[in-house]
Parts: sequence; structure tokens; C-alpha cells
Amino acid sequence: MKSKGRAMASIRMGATVAAVSLLAVGAVTASNAASRSSDVTTISVASLIPGSTKAATQEFAAQVAEFEKANPSIKVKSVQYQWTGPTFAAKLAAGTLPTVFTVPFTDARSLGDNGQLADLTSQVKALPYFNKFNPAVIAEGTDSKGQVVAVPTAAYAQALHYNRKLFTEAGLNPNKPPTTWAQVMADATLISQKTGAAGYAEMGADDNTAGWILTTLVYSLGGRMETGIGNKAVATLDNPQTVSALNMLKTMRWTDNSMGSDFSYGWSDINQAFAAGQVGMYVSGSDVYTNLVQASNINPSIYGVTTIPLARSKTAGVLGGGTLAAVKPSASAAEVAAAVKWIDFYYEQPLVNEAQAVRNAKTLSESKQPVGVPALPIFNKAQYALANTWIKPYINVPVNQMKPFTSGIFSQQLVPEPEASTQSVYHALDPVVEAVLTDQNANIPSLLKQANQAAQTAIKQGT
Amino acid sequence: MIAYPLGRRARRRSDPADGEGLVSQADLRRPGVRWGLGTAHTILLAGLVIIGVGPILWLAKSAITPTQDTITHPMSLFPHGAAWSNLTQAWTNVDVGRYFWNTIVIAIGSWLCQIVVATTAGFALSVLRPRYAKLITGLLLTTLFVPAIVLLVPLYVEIVHPPLVHHSFIDSYWAIWLPAGASAFNVVLMTRFFDNLPREIFEAARIDGCGPFRLFTSIVLPMSRPILGVVSVFALLASWKDFLWPLLVLTDPNKQPLSVRLPTIQAQTELGVFLAAMFISCLVPIVGFLIFQRSFLRGPGLSGAIKG
Amino acid sequence: MATIEPVASAVEKTQDARMRQPAAESSRPRARRRPSWPPGDALSTLAFLLPMLAIFGAFSWYPIVRTVIMSLQHTNLVQPATWVGFANFSTVIHDPLFPIAVKNTAEFALLALVFGYPIPLIAAVVMSSVRRRGIYSALAFLPVVIPPVVAVLLWKTFYDASSTGVFNTVLGWIGLGPYPWLQSQQTALPSLVLESTWANAGATVIIYLAALTAVSNELYEAASVDGAGLWKKVWHVTLPQLRGVLLVTMILQIIGTAQVFLEPYLFTSGGPANATLTVLLLIYNYAFGNSLGGDYGAATALSLMLAGFLAVFSLVYLRATRSWSSA
Repeated sequence: MKSKGRAMASIRMGATVAAVSLLAVGAVTASNAASRSSDVTTISVASLIPGSTKAATQEFAAQVAEFEKANPSIKVKSVQYQWTGPTFAAKLAAGTLPTVFTVPFTDARSLGDNGQLADLTSQVKALPYFNKFNPAVIAEGTDSKGQVVAVPTAAYAQALHYNRKLFTEAGLNPNKPPTTWAQVMADATLISQKTGAAGYAEMGADDNTAGWILTTLVYSLGGRMETGIGNKAVATLDNPQTVSALNMLKTMRWTDNSMGSDFSYGWSDINQAFAAGQVGMYVSGSDVYTNLVQASNINPSIYGVTTIPLARSKTAGVLGGGTLAAVKPSASAAEVAAAVKWIDFYYEQPLVNEAQAVRNAKTLSESKQPVGVPALPIFNKAQYALANTWIKPYINVPVNQMKPFTSGIFSQQLVPEPEASTQSVYHALDPVVEAVLTDQNANIPSLLKQANQAAQTAIKQGT
Repeated sequence: MIAYPLGRRARRRSDPADGEGLVSQADLRRPGVRWGLGTAHTILLAGLVIIGVGPILWLAKSAITPTQDTITHPMSLFPHGAAWSNLTQAWTNVDVGRYFWNTIVIAIGSWLCQIVVATTAGFALSVLRPRYAKLITGLLLTTLFVPAIVLLVPLYVEIVHPPLVHHSFIDSYWAIWLPAGASAFNVVLMTRFFDNLPREIFEAARIDGCGPFRLFTSIVLPMSRPILGVVSVFALLASWKDFLWPLLVLTDPNKQPLSVRLPTIQAQTELGVFLAAMFISCLVPIVGFLIFQRSFLRGPGLSGAIKG
Repeated sequence: MATIEPVASAVEKTQDARMRQPAAESSRPRARRRPSWPPGDALSTLAFLLPMLAIFGAFSWYPIVRTVIMSLQHTNLVQPATWVGFANFSTVIHDPLFPIAVKNTAEFALLALVFGYPIPLIAAVVMSSVRRRGIYSALAFLPVVIPPVVAVLLWKTFYDASSTGVFNTVLGWIGLGPYPWLQSQQTALPSLVLESTWANAGATVIIYLAALTAVSNELYEAASVDGAGLWKKVWHVTLPQLRGVLLVTMILQIIGTAQVFLEPYLFTSGGPANATLTVLLLIYNYAFGNSLGGDYGAATALSLMLAGFLAVFSLVYLRATRSWSSA
């Protein structure tokens, strides 16, 4: 009797404990569930790169406020976001991407074919400017079934960025940047000798950026990394121009010693080093000035940009890429509609609508964010020129310092990135670049052979 | 509990103060040994200071040095004055305070979960001794031999697509707290400790009509303070060191602990401010350690755990 | 009995009136061998085991089973999984990065053993002969307390390869040239081991110290009486007594360094040119490295292979050292 009373008390206590814990779990689950009332759709959108300045964040918030005012039935949540090869996959698997996120040209079609992007065809085709998209550019966002899975937001070409201050210190004319690779090498040697900074720096990080820049160099010498398309493409990583590019890097690194001492730069790191005055010249997308301002607080007077030197060959061209905005596949119909409205407002309107372009430019310049960073047209060239005239009064970037690029880019042949398994091709090239930069006796032919095999395997598997 | 007669020291530990440990009085009488030992001690102390504390001192110095000075003359002492603004910028722009708070919240939750699981399981296996205890212990020991990597991918998939609940636990702290409790090491430690507790007390309590819950909360737990201390320290250290799991599971920057956040913003933060942020994130563990090091490093619980 | 009364009275204070009444049938004398609780308490035993069973079931046993299943499937989390038998294991073994990762991991473990095993022992032995060793232990343990990510990022700054990097500056004072540290395939892995040793050796020192102080004085006295000098005492008394701890820390260190992830990931991301690619980093890359979606089958297959290897290694090790370790 007494022991039974004991047992009952114990059971009661045990049951209470169990009940409380179940309630706790339930509460947690309930609180995690998204709250959505019937007439307001909430979407989350990719905003700025993590670590952006407070001013940039405030400017973005101002744009969000403007959009919500114009669309009272949509609420927008900003999520810091940066696409990098390794982190994107984890977010995709976990389903933690914001409703609207951006992907590079290289991945959109494959993601669409794998069912990992929402189908936006009907909403996008309804946009008034849909037919004005540059066909090559809109094709990047169309999967193999002809469905539009991503909307182009920006296009860029690779450019050679240089530090005007270091040029002057080295005795070079900052208004006459190099136009051939031989000149680049000579200028780099001078800069490193006279100023101690790295004359020319190359991305060497393992996150596909090393391969990306090497591909840029190879394109500029006339080579290509693939022939054919899709799973049947053939990897040609070991073409003669790749060997020339690597030998050029080898000379700069080991003979001229003009590449400094850090060979593991990624996209963000090299921008940071450049803004800090540690790098004389480097290759990256033409749009990095925004990041230089927002993340690294660059002194505008040191910035110069010119076109990548092209070899005198019919196939020599400038690697071009771009960004697309896509929507999570799990988004509901209402969310997809809201998402496309956001994409239209934030990414497209400033390029096609004068009033919106002016408003956008005004907000940006008031928060001291760069307006007028060189970009490539995603519509036709006339539209691009027109849009630039709209924002002319607000342009606050040093346009004269960017003239070598803006005046030269349109006469260069724009070459799209390797079509099949682009990121895997870049990834296969990463160790080749790293080996050349860190090992004086790197065996280039054997390294390229291994890289080619790895790339071919990825192409065949469609990864 | 056994009182020693006054004036007599317990002889179990080798204490050089007695001169009867490794270094005997006879040894100390030889000048060669005295000199050799003295040199060894000095070298060791100097080495420990330079190697152990040196990097941290450099971090402290660089946290308030302007970035340019740190880059060009890293070993000089404030050639152009100090830059206290690094610290304020680290606190406001980099928002170190928030990530630090996240780290603490994660650590406390993990610790609590580990304590609950280890004490209840140890109590059940050691004191209550159900008939199937051997089976459970066997299952526990198998997990002890399974390295953590084996669990990484399926655990991640389980957090993303939990089998019963149709809602991902990504970006929820429960995804870190709950799996932290699955430490067979803790349960084994607890079980062993409870095994060493005198059984007579339990008998007496049972005679007095004490049920298992009262026994647990009123008798066993208060007696377990040393081992609770050891398990807590291990739990806190493990949570502190945890990087890969929070990296995978917490994708929302506002929820990330310092360990995950700091590397992400390195490229966006100038060196001086970044070093200041790193320094701030070191302060609490260092201060906490200096305060508690006496009880932890010399405590009886640690030797007990090691001997076991 | 003197010791029971205070405890019993403490128990009484917290009990309510009902419990003060003497228990009924359970107070009858029974065999004192095993405390046997009334049968109704099987439920409370289960209640006590519930947290452990739930947590371990969900986050330990179930994932282990899932690992085995996933290693035999092709999964990318979007499309349903398909059974592929041992294809994943074959993919991993034929991956040119696999032998590189294995070699690097073995090299890391070996270097860590060479640097990180004797030094803490020597330090602990010297420390045990010091009077006031509190300051020594505190200094030794300090690097362990630093958050590991901070330690790695700090050392990454130290390892700046330019002549104005911290280490290069200091070494420049004694005329040693600037070293590439993380920027060279030869020096990258040793650099990682160096930082890892710095960050972890302190814990090992403390463990050794605790074990050393447990060595009974009688043994030393006996050795002294036999005329043994300091070295002989260390060799014939200290080390043999420490055998158990030494062997355990060795196997624990090997198992720990075989799973190294943080240092390669944060310092070099496996570079330059895969010189610091370890098995765990390879697993991570399989699962999360490809921007189009991960190969979870290959990741779990490699995890199983590593776990299997460590299990076999541990068994062989334990068997081989059984005869050497003291009871």
C-alpha cells in the first residue's frame, strides 16, 4: 500500500515530466512554423553580402519599404546572402535559401533541370520587357524544357583592375594601363620592385575562383575549356593556351617574383587586399567596385579598371558571366507571384523604367552607395545606354578612372563560360593554379591531365 | 569523511613539499640535480609564458593597434599610438556581443541537455539497475567507439527532414542542444561514479520509504558535485570547440555563434577591427578560466575521472 | 551508524508527512546483495531512462543505421533515393583525391604524435617536480581555453608569408628567412600540426600531471633506497606507472587527429593543391562542396570506411598493448 503509493507518486511525476517535455517540443515546433495570414504573403529575399556596411543595409531597407508601400499585400524579409560554390549546396539541401535568391549563369540551367528552382515562366513572360532580354542572357535562365527558372539581373565581363596610386608610385602612367599580357608582366615587376606590393595577384582559393580566373586568362589567349554541350561535352582543359597561361603565371611568380606572397586569395579576400593597397593589378568581374566600397571602404581615387588584354587571335575573348534571380521550388503560387514582383521591382525596373531608375539611383547615392558601376547590358545595348542617361546625375563612381574599361569592352568578343558542369571544371583547375603558384617545379602537363580527367568525369555525370 | 588525526598529511599524493616524490631529499642535495632542475624549471616557465601566453598578448596588443601598423610592423609596440576605436567598432559594427550571446545560449542549452541525459541514465543504470541494463550499456559502448563523423551526414539529413515532424530544425538551437546530449562518454562517467557511491545510503533511504525520484534529487545529485563539475567542464569545452555542426545547422547569421560567424566576415572586416573582435571573444573564456582554474585543475573529480 | 544519521535526517527534512510513516512490507529483511525496488518502479526506471533513450535513439543509433543505408544509396535529397549497392564505395576508392586525403591524414596524425606526444609528457614530468605548480598548469592550459576558431584565425595571421608576417618578422630577428608557411605544399601541413599542438597540448599536460601526482610516494622512496638517481626513477618508476594513461592518450590522440577538420578547413580549405586535404574535409566536400547538390552516398561511404578503419585500428591497438598496460 505504502509502496504502491510511492509507485503512484513516481508514475505521476514521471508522467508530468513526459507531458511537459512533449508540450515543450510542441511549442517549439509551433513557434517555428511560418505565420501567414490569408491576405498578406511573406517572402524572404536575398539582400546584401554578410558584413556589409550599415549604410548599405539601411539603403536596402529603404528599398524594401518602398516596395511594401507599393504592394501592401506583400511583406518582405531581408536575408543576408552570398553565393559561393560550397555554401550554396548546403543551403539548397537544407532548404534555408530565401524565397528569392541569386545564382550565377553557370548553375541556373542545371538547377532548373534537377527541379531545384521554381518555374517562373508564366509570370516572367507577362513582364512587358520580356522580349527585350538579350537572347543569350535569357537562355541562361531557361532550362532544357524551355521553362524560365531564373531571371537575369546583371551581366558582367572580366576586367583588369589596377591601383592607380601604386602605378604612380612605380613610375607608370595610371591613365595608360597595360594592353598586352607582356605589359602586364612588365608593369607587375616594376610595381613589386618599387612599392613592395604584389604587382599582379591571382585568385588561388579552392572554392572554384582559382579555376575561374585561369579560365579567364585562357579565354583571353584564345583557348577554350570545353567543346560540345551537355553530358556529351568534351573537356579540353589541357589545351595549349592553358599551358601558356600557366607558364605566364609561373614566370611572374618565380622569375619576376611580382605576385606577392599570398596565393590563396578568394573573391572577397582579393578585393579586401586590393582596397588595402596590397595589390597592384588583378582580374575579376567588372562589378567588384560595389563590393570594394561596401565591404572594404576603398578610397575611390586609387581605383582603375581596364579591359583584359586579348591575344591577337580570332578566338581570344573576354569571359562573361552574370547573375540570375531564382525562386525556391517549395514556394506557393502566391509566393512565386510575390517573388517575381520583387525581382521585377528590385532588379529589373531600374534598367527599364526611368522613374524607378532615378528613384533607385537617388536612394543609393543618398546612402553613399556606388551608382554607375560598369555593367554589361542584359537587354540590348540601346536600352543599356538609355538607362545610363537616366541615372547620369547620380553617378558617383569615378567614371574617368573607369574609362579604359567602359570604352574598350564593347569592341571585345564576349565569350560565355564553359557550358557543362562549369563549377566542376573550375574546381578541377583550382589545384593546378595552386600548384603552379606554390611549387616551382610543378609539372604542368601532368597536372592538367588529371584536371581534365576530373572535369570529364563531372561532365559525364552532370554534376 | 574519515577524519585524519591532526598533524598528519594524507600520504596518497606525491607532494614534493614532502621531498618524498620523484625528487627526493637525497637528490636535491646533489648540486648537479639542483642546477639541472632549476634550469629545467626556468626553461619550462619561460617556454610556457612565451608559447602559451605570447600569442594572446599579441592579440591583445593588436586589438588596439591601427591596421596599417599591424600589417607593416606586427611586432612593434604602438608606433603610432593606440586605436581604441577597433574595439568599439568590433562591438557595434561586427556586433560581437550578439554572437557571443549566441555562443553562451548554445553552450548552456547543450550543457543542460548533457547533464539531464547523463545523470538520469547513469542513475538508472547504476542504482536502479533494471534487468535490461546490460543491453543498454552494450548499446552505449558501441556508440563510444563510433567516431562523430559517421553521424554527420545522416544527422544533418535528419535535421533537415525530421522523420515524424514535417518541419526542418535548421536554424533552431534545438538542433544543437539535443544531439549534444548523445554523449556516451558522459553516461559512462556518471555510471562509474554512481557505482562508487556507498550502497548503504541507498539502502537506508529505501528503508525510510524513499522513492527513486526523491533518491535521485535529494541524495544522489547532491553527492555528485565533483563528477557534475567534471562533466560540466567537458560539456562546456566541447560546446566551445564545436564548429562544423553549428556551421552546417545555423545558416541564419543572427543565430550563429562566434565560431561560425567570425570566419565568414573576415573578408569584409579590416584587420584591426577583426583582431579586436577575436580578442573580445577570448575575454570571457580566459577570465572564466583564471577564476575557476583552481577548482578544476586541482579538483578531486578530475583525478577520479582519470583513474576511472 | 554515525554517517547515515545526518543523511537520513536530511532526507527527512525534505519529505512530506506521508513519507515519514515507516514503510510496510518492503522493510522486511531481504538479501542485502542487490537493492531490489518494488516492481511498480519499473515504470519510473523507464522514466529515468527516457531522456537517454530518446536522445540516443534519435541522434545516435538512428543516424548510425541511416549512415549504413545511405552509403548504399544514391541520394541528393531532392529526388527519391535509389539503391546502388557498393557503387559509392567504388566511387570513393577510385577518386584520385582519396589516396591524397588518406596520406595527408596519416601524415597529420603522425606529425601530431611526434610533436604533441612527448612534449606534454616531458613538460608534465618537469612540472611534477615543482613546488607551486599552479601557475605552470594554468599557463599550459591557457591555449586550450581559447575558442578553437579564434586560435586558428590568429595563427593564420601569424602565418602571413610576407616578410612582415608575425612569425617571419620574429624569425627574421635571428636571421632565418621568410617562410611560405601556408603558401607552400611542403610547409602547409606541418604548419597546421604546429597550431593544433599549441591549442591542444595543454589538456594532455594536465591529464599527465594528474596521473603523475597519483603515483604513490612509496615507490619513489623504495627506488631512492635502492640508490636510483633522478633519471632512473623517471625511467623505472614514473613511466611504467603512467603506462595506462600514456597508452590511452595515444590512441585517443590518433583517433582525434584522424578526424581533423577545423584546421584544414579554416586555414587552407584543403589547399594548396590538396596538400592539406584530409579525409574529413573530403567527406565534407562530397556532401557540401558541389554547388549543384551533394553526393551524400559517397560522403557516408567514406565516413563508414574511416569509422571501420578506426575500429579495427583500436582493436589491434588494444590487443597489442594489453600485455603492456598495468592492471
